Amino acid sequence: MDKKQGVYLCGGCGIAAASPLDGLEKVATKEFKVPHCRKHDFLCGEEGLKLIRDDIAAGTINQAVIAACSPRVNQDRFRFEGAQVIRANLREQVAWTQEQGAEDTAMAAADYLRMAITEAKKSAPPRAYEEGPYSERVMVVGGGIAGLTAAREAARAGYDVLLVEAGTALGGRMRDLSKRMPHKPPYAAPQENDIGTLIKAVEGEKRIAIRLGHRVTRTAGGPGKFTVELAANGTTVEEKVGAIVLATGWRPYDPNKLGHLGYGASPDVVTSLDLEAMLKSGAVKRRSNGAPAKTVAFIQCAGSRDPAHLPYCSSVCCGVSIRQALQLRAADPESSVYVLYDELRTPGTAEEFYRAAQRAGVVFVKCKVKSVGADLTVTIDDALLREEIPMAGLDLVVLATGMVPNSTDLFATGEGEVMPVPDIDPLSPIPVAGYAGEKPATAAKAAPVEVKGAPLLNLQYRQGPHLPILADGFADSHFICFPYETRRTGIYTCGPLRRPMDGAESAEDATGAALKAIQAIRNVVEGRALHPRSGDLSFPRINLNNCTKCRRCTVECPFGAIDETAEGFPIPNSTRCRRCGTCMGACPVRVISFENYSVDMLSSMIKAVEIPDEDEEKPRVLILACQNDAYPALDMAGINRAKMNTFVRVIPVRCLGSVSVLCISDALSSGYDGVMMMGCKAGDDYQCHFVRGSSIAQERMAKVGETLKSMALEKERVATFEIAIADSHKLPKMIDDFMAGIEAVGPNPFKGM
Amino acid sequence: MSAAAPAKRNYDLGFARWVYQNVEGGDRLSLCMQCGMCSGSCPIGAKMDQGPRKLFMMIRAGMKDAVLTSDTLWNCTQCYNCVVRCPRQIKVTNILQGLARVAVAEGYVTERPTARFAKAFWRSLRMFGRTDERIVTALFYFSSGLKAGIDLGLKNLPIAQRMIKAGRMHLGLPHRAKGAAELRAILDKAAAIEKGEGAKP
Repeated sequence: MDKKQGVYLCGGCGIAAASPLDGLEKVATKEFKVPHCRKHDFLCGEEGLKLIRDDIAAGTINQAVIAACSPRVNQDRFRFEGAQVIRANLREQVAWTQEQGAEDTAMAAADYLRMAITEAKKSAPPRAYEEGPYSERVMVVGGGIAGLTAAREAARAGYDVLLVEAGTALGGRMRDLSKRMPHKPPYAAPQENDIGTLIKAVEGEKRIAIRLGHRVTRTAGGPGKFTVELAANGTTVEEKVGAIVLATGWRPYDPNKLGHLGYGASPDVVTSLDLEAMLKSGAVKRRSNGAPAKTVAFIQCAGSRDPAHLPYCSSVCCGVSIRQALQLRAADPESSVYVLYDELRTPGTAEEFYRAAQRAGVVFVKCKVKSVGADLTVTIDDALLREEIPMAGLDLVVLATGMVPNSTDLFATGEGEVMPVPDIDPLSPIPVAGYAGEKPATAAKAAPVEVKGAPLLNLQYRQGPHLPILADGFADSHFICFPYETRRTGIYTCGPLRRPMDGAESAEDATGAALKAIQAIRNVVEGRALHPRSGDLSFPRINLNNCTKCRRCTVECPFGAIDETAEGFPIPNSTRCRRCGTCMGACPVRVISFENYSVDMLSSMIKAVEIPDEDEEKPRVLILACQNDAYPALDMAGINRAKMNTFVRVIPVRCLGSVSVLCISDALSSGYDGVMMMGCKAGDDYQCHFVRGSSIAQERMAKVGETLKSMALEKERVATFEIAIADSHKLPKMIDDFMAGIEAVGPNPFKGM
Repeated sequence: MSAAAPAKRNYDLGFARWVYQNVEGGDRLSLCMQCGMCSGSCPIGAKMDQGPRKLFMMIRAGMKDAVLTSDTLWNCTQCYNCVVRCPRQIKVTNILQGLARVAVAEGYVTERPTARFAKAFWRSLRMFGRTDERIVTALFYFSSGLKAGIDLGLKNLPIAQRMIKAGRMHLGLPHRAKGAAELRAILDKAAAIEKGEGAKP
């Protein structure tokens, strides 16, 4: 289909006042010879929209370049059947941040229009890929409260569910509990353990197929077309599923490592779970002599929040000890129950539960436990009395042990409940290849960690069989922004595999994960991208004719979306892809591109900007801004009418990971004085929406110095910045400072060459 | 302010629970969150071994001996500042008084001016149904011996004279409250009940 471009200039919101539309019209019609250009003072109004719709209906245009507000706003208004829309941001980044009517403002507006028209030329409307048929079944791994809830919720939403549990019965850890923490008002007393009701509900659900005693031994494919192999007693079956919810739960921290808290010194030093078994059996007795336990002390944070053991707070142990203490007090009013804590953590309604325990006469002592003797004398350093107190005459000492996520399957390898910390190298398995072919910078950082336990899903991915985890062993996800997402598309984690949480929280979490799985299936069936580019139809196309088999794309993809053929060619898995473009930024020969996003497009846009001669003293700095945080922050600066440097030109990119070093050298060789790369925070506490994109970009940019050296340019000309969405107020100064640095090194000698 | 920790202390892990269950106001003591409002509000906190907050923590630590020998129990002036201000509505004053009674009953305290003063106060109350300054002071002064009684009386004579002048103390017979006999009966009954049913730690 022939491309019929039309340019629409909006004069509203102060755009016409900042930069006369006639000048812009000339850019479109004279400079770019766009045959069709219209002006309107209120383009997003009904009259303005009708202008565009009529042109589309008449067949005059099938691609509209709309020079108006930011592409982030009015998306619903500027969406037309039958025409691709490209936006030029003349409002937030020109009219609202630059001086009205100034020559430099008009130049900026013209440049943004040039970039948009160029982008339109290099862009085609994306077509959804179709690789069906897809499976719309959800597989849930783990039959505890999280898994059961996920299965039930998915089934109730109308999806078939395959529920896989390695054990012989459903219910998970909840099955062993005598009672559970309150999860309904008034949150003041232990509640009945109602896991049986949930198990019955799941068993009665027609849409749920339950596979007990099965393990997942192999997972291949991608969302919508996972092929999983389930094994039980040596026999295997193969199933097709569309999305996977992982709810493999937790295991208690190995108490044998808690010798300093007396574990093993006396049979009367027990763990929370040991006490739970006693409470369930109805008789809390001393193990040493069978006498009833009348004076009991709970030691909180047994292993948790201890750098030598579990560095994190296990979150539930305070609530569990409060519940058990209440049960002990209720069973025997003559009992004395002590809870020895350093910090009691009772968030939300748990505070009510805490107060109920205080009311019931449970004695809470803020202290640090110094030692636990074989005679059960617990010596504490009382924080409020500031003296050492020997607590003698205890019948039972209970260690509130923490939660360890089951991020690998230790039973499958016969390792039982051994505690590997960390299970998997959190930064695995991506050694980022340097752009010029040097050794990866991260290679020397950490010795390979011995992985204990079998992979949960045994993923048949280029990037290894394991699900990437965080430093503490929990599945990698963004805690606040996108908690259920893992680094493997279509696979969602919930419950204590994600972070320590109790039964009620796990159930809520599982509901979320089930909905994410359904969302994944729906998007895949429609050929659309998943979070965070939800709904995006574009897809990376790889021109294998020119591929050099360097494997950078397969190594750097943050989601393991690209596999390799035996010959080493990349095979993209369409449904695993999140469209971040990290592969595009990685490719040294530019063979990976999207229909509406490519290195060629970015380079052409960069070159479309008019670079004034050196003697005009109008420097130009290119800003490549991540669409997720940096670009909105720049827009926000505009909304706040912040004065912005007039010499910058901003191009939004999908992720800094999608920026090829070739774009940088193109910018510098065409005369830009500097390049600012604005992306999200990288590292362990990343804010990158594509998890690894910004850190990959930073590693690539660390090597950009050599490119600059080969061009005989100063290294100050290129810099990377970490911008959060709330940083808009810092941007004007940041840009001015960078500009001052550029002025210090002088104009780019490539200008005008 | 806090006394140096004695070399050896007795700890009783059941003490806290016993106090919660048996001392007046103790049922709310378990709600103490150690904010220190009581100690901070106490006008004579500086004259105590430890403020109420610390005393309550000592109860939790099972330091029965140290709690029952503490002068905090006796130096409380019952101004009720702490009771009014306690965010957990703990009746601090009642608890201190209750603990003082336990201290006497258990023999932790035998010789204590405040205890003698309290006894003098109650004797006057029992006799007349109300207190008479002269009788209370006389009983209190002579409770520590004849010589000491005379010395104290002479020493404080100028104060008494000024009080008489100001009309704060009269010279006639002690006033008797209406129904003093009934009050005496009530007090006797209470004492009997306490003797019969009073729990011991």
